Amino acid sequence: MMRIVLGSEPRLLNILRAVVKFRAQEAGLSKSDAEYVALAIDEAAANVIRHTYGSRHDALLALEVHNLPDRLEFVLEDWGPKVCEEQIRPRPLDELRPGGLGTFFIYSFMDECSYDPNFKEGNRLKLVKFLSRKGAWCNEGSSANSG
Amino acid sequence: MKVQVRILDKVTILDCSGDVDLYSSPRLREALLAEVKAHGPSVLVNMSGVSYIDSSGIATLVEGLQLSRQTKIPFGLFGLRPNARSVLELARLHKVFTIFESEVEALEKIGSVQPFGGV
Repeated sequence: MMRIVLGSEPRLLNILRAVVKFRAQEAGLSKSDAEYVALAIDEAAANVIRHTYGSRHDALLALEVHNLPDRLEFVLEDWGPKVCEEQIRPRPLDELRPGGLGTFFIYSFMDECSYDPNFKEGNRLKLVKFLSRKGAWCNEGSSANSG
Repeated sequence: MKVQVRILDKVTILDCSGDVDLYSSPRLREALLAEVKAHGPSVLVNMSGVSYIDSSGIATLVEGLQLSRQTKIPFGLFGLRPNARSVLELARLHKVFTIFESEVEALEKIGSVQPFGGV
């Protein structure tokens, strides 16, 4: 397991992406799938910065990467206000408007996505990518997003 | 990320390079919206140097497209790398934007692009 803690600054997101991409390729994902996983984690972290922290840059977020035999687990923690999971919904793709694609990409590129209800001091989001599934294009039923 | 603006054959071209993400997309937004408002008669975004684009970058391109429709300025993208093209396709935006393979093709055809999209 590895854990990194970063300030909630958008300019640091490239570090997060580089770590995720490296660990995903190390776990056996192709370069393109590793890039999609990095995009999903980047979008989740960007949502924390923009929505949970209201674009404050003086807060913290943490990412844990668990490299398991059959999957990669990414755990993203923040110490902001509780997220209302029911309000996080992909938006319909037939709406042409800026924004709202971040959650869609998260659901598209990851196999599982859930908040830990027992995490008391903020939000703990677990994102899972199974290594045996070929291609990142899953969850076709999801039709877009909120963040 | 860098954005450089040039004008070629009366077409405004924004050459973008690097990562377009939450940190850098405001710079692209500022440049893109300013060029769509100010110049014309056509605006192209050269994506060949863009190594990464996230939802905030795509949102910026959508804003540019919407403004171009309002101002009736033909707007297009060219030089998309496979990863950028894939995320646009997944978001079903590849048919919304006018996308050219190369700068040569874009300069040749942008004049015939209708402001509502399509050639």
